[in-house]
Amino acid sequence: MDFLNPVINGFSVVLEPMNLLYCLVGVVIGMLIGVLPGLGPAATIAILLPLTYGVEPVTAIIMLAGIFYGAQYGGTITSVLLRLPGEASSVVTVFDGYQMARQGKAGTALGLAAIGSFIGGTAAIIGLTFLAPLVAGFALDFGPPEYSALAMLGILLVATISGGSKAKALIAASVGLLLATVGRDIFTGESRFTFGSIQLADGIDFVPIAMGIFGLGEILYNLEERHRAAKAPSKVSNVWPSKAELKHASGAIGRGSVLGFFLGILPGGGATIASMASYAMEKKRAKQPERFGKGAPEGVAGPETANNAAATSSFIPLLTLGIPANATMALMFGALLIQGVTPGPQLVEQEPELFWGVVNSMYIGNILLLIMSLPLVGIFVRILRVRAAILAPITALITLLGAYTINNSMFDVTLVVVFGVVGYLMKKFGFEPGPLVLAFVLGELLESSLRRSLLVFDGDPTGFFTRPISATLLAVFVLVALMPGIRSAMAKRKGTTAASASAGDGTNNDGANNIKEKV
Amino acid sequence: MKHFPTRRAILGTASAVTLLALTACGGNVGGGAAAGNSSKYPSGPVTLTVGQAAGGSTDLIARALAEGATKTLGSPMPVVNKPGANGALATKEVAGKTADGQELVLLTASLITITPLAVSADEAVNIDDLDIIAGLSQDDYVLVASQQSGFKSFEDVTNAGRNVTFGTTGVGTGSQLAQTVLFKQASVKGTDVPFDSGKPALTAVLGNQVELATIQLGEAMPQIEAGKVSPLLVFSEERNSFLPDVPSAKEAGYDVPVAQYRAVAAPKGTPQEVKDKLLASFQDTFKTDAYKEFNKKNLLTPKELSGEEVVTEWKGYAEKYKELVEKYDISLGGNK
Repeated sequence: MDFLNPVINGFSVVLEPMNLLYCLVGVVIGMLIGVLPGLGPAATIAILLPLTYGVEPVTAIIMLAGIFYGAQYGGTITSVLLRLPGEASSVVTVFDGYQMARQGKAGTALGLAAIGSFIGGTAAIIGLTFLAPLVAGFALDFGPPEYSALAMLGILLVATISGGSKAKALIAASVGLLLATVGRDIFTGESRFTFGSIQLADGIDFVPIAMGIFGLGEILYNLEERHRAAKAPSKVSNVWPSKAELKHASGAIGRGSVLGFFLGILPGGGATIASMASYAMEKKRAKQPERFGKGAPEGVAGPETANNAAATSSFIPLLTLGIPANATMALMFGALLIQGVTPGPQLVEQEPELFWGVVNSMYIGNILLLIMSLPLVGIFVRILRVRAAILAPITALITLLGAYTINNSMFDVTLVVVFGVVGYLMKKFGFEPGPLVLAFVLGELLESSLRRSLLVFDGDPTGFFTRPISATLLAVFVLVALMPGIRSAMAKRKGTTAASASAGDGTNNDGANNIKEKV
Repeated sequence: MKHFPTRRAILGTASAVTLLALTACGGNVGGGAAAGNSSKYPSGPVTLTVGQAAGGSTDLIARALAEGATKTLGSPMPVVNKPGANGALATKEVAGKTADGQELVLLTASLITITPLAVSADEAVNIDDLDIIAGLSQDDYVLVASQQSGFKSFEDVTNAGRNVTFGTTGVGTGSQLAQTVLFKQASVKGTDVPFDSGKPALTAVLGNQVELATIQLGEAMPQIEAGKVSPLLVFSEERNSFLPDVPSAKEAGYDVPVAQYRAVAAPKGTPQEVKDKLLASFQDTFKTDAYKEFNKKNLLTPKELSGEEVVTEWKGYAEKYKELVEKYDISLGGNK
């Protein structure tokens, strides 16, 4: 039971008043921006990154994590009440949630979503508690070859799994890789793409890129988007679902927890994909699939559970391997780096207070959210009345001020503006910013680990296959790369029988394509 | 509506004029203090810029020094981090500021003595562009070996008769210079694997991804004490008082004196009285128990020299390292 000691110590970290306060602040901000269709958690975290500079690392991450999973709760509210998904991960909730609201069961829908989110989140934290030390047990076996394989797999998954056009995702990822090469070559000291500027000698900092692309880019893009005026929300009553309803949805909540947990761990996965997969699964499993889209409670409970489970479990690859699974986690990575903490296999052992403090804060945060989300629904919906003309300049100002404070550098502010424009143009032309930012983060890791490995292997690339972990990872890489080919071959063989079976998937994919992915 | 732009223009001009007048005034006051009566120094907070990120050993030293000097100088000394290009960014920026003693920089010796061997000339910093106020301390490098390598002393390495892999803390660092020169002198064949800093290099030794690495003593000590890595040599000219049983490279017969030194510098042309006042306040700080305790805790050996001594010594090292790399035909930059 030695292993439980640090877990329990983690609770004492969370229960410090300062940390509790920041946890509360985080989840409230998370819910707020979850309600606002403009800002997503990644943008918010990007904007608030510099503000965390002055506080303790554990406190900062507790707050940022709260924003992330808090947004999963908030996004549901507007999906159900206004048919306006506040978050990409709550898009599928619209299908049945809004119908339930029209039938006068808005309270039930919100109640189910909140309970499901709580269960999904809690289940994922328990999974995280047991899985993380297991992975960390291999900490010292993770050398340059393992990191090269992991980074390659991560970039591939990010580019192929994320929603939207694959070709565009690959282009964005390539640009990210290219940007990662700027700066002094750490093996030879040669300057690359610095154009003689000493400001670029260390390469481009991750934080201004993220703040520009996610923060400023998002703000600019939203100014252009016209949101539907907020209608008066439907009346919310009997928030607590009846026993029969709960029993009906319990299967969906259980399946959503497991599905969400695993999809969250996957690089490139995350809350949005988990919610869609869960919706598709529930629809496939249902005895009367035609009920879906007409107010089926499972259609709300499943995806809402899955998105929160995934939001939580996506911390696993970041905290144990130092590999961010999605864009929001890339920002967490940046936040940790600002704090002088390098996430990786050593984290659990070297910074147990930070690790377990953050993990355990999620229990508290989920309880806070469950308590807050139902009674405060009316207040959160009112936020929608704040005009973009007021919100946008304030957030833009905070972003630019924040960018300056990190390194006291005007150059960083310029970078934020440049990447803000890049982010805006990317969104406008349908490029996902996620793959770019993730490839940028992983690109540095990939290049240095790959070159380091080759030095250790004396230039022999077969060396990667002599080590069990890197060999396994590379095998998975090949599998994933070949997957689309295998799939289409199988589909051809199945012929017409598959056509009817994949109809369900088809509608789901349409849903995915219609979503303007928001990070 | 037609009036509006005109009115705005007038308002704008008026405020611009006011602002100009104000700044001009401020400039006069500031200028007077700097050029004239230096007994008025310091005329406000004295900023100490650090070219490394917050939390690193250089930053910690700056903060410990600033805390003491705030009391002895009677003026706040905020520490500002401007990381970039091994500290060249911050150093060049401070070197270009007004030489009134209000702007200082914490200078690392490697930036002057080793980095120029690895980077292009316009990225390098020249010590003659600065006035050195005081030397601070010496931070030693130690060569450590992984357990699986079986190396318990440097003789084991020279007797191994095979290619060894060694991690460095990056290109153009003391860690790289010390090891490449040492291995040439000892005729050991080695593969140089650069890491981003000391921590990942140490982790690689712990996981036996590289057999050897040279890192700063403060970073290596916890693992040395835990017996997870074996210390083979220190690169200081004498044994390090914190590791009395580990021989120095010189004792083992190798001529490779490498350590990290740090000093405080001001822009070139700072008035002598200002420099004297700063030096006196730093010397008072050196005497405090808190600062002594800080050095001890971070395994730093005090090396509290005058500015002139620092310049002579660092220039000597720069010369020596240049000779060494030329003699052994080592290229810190494009190796392999």
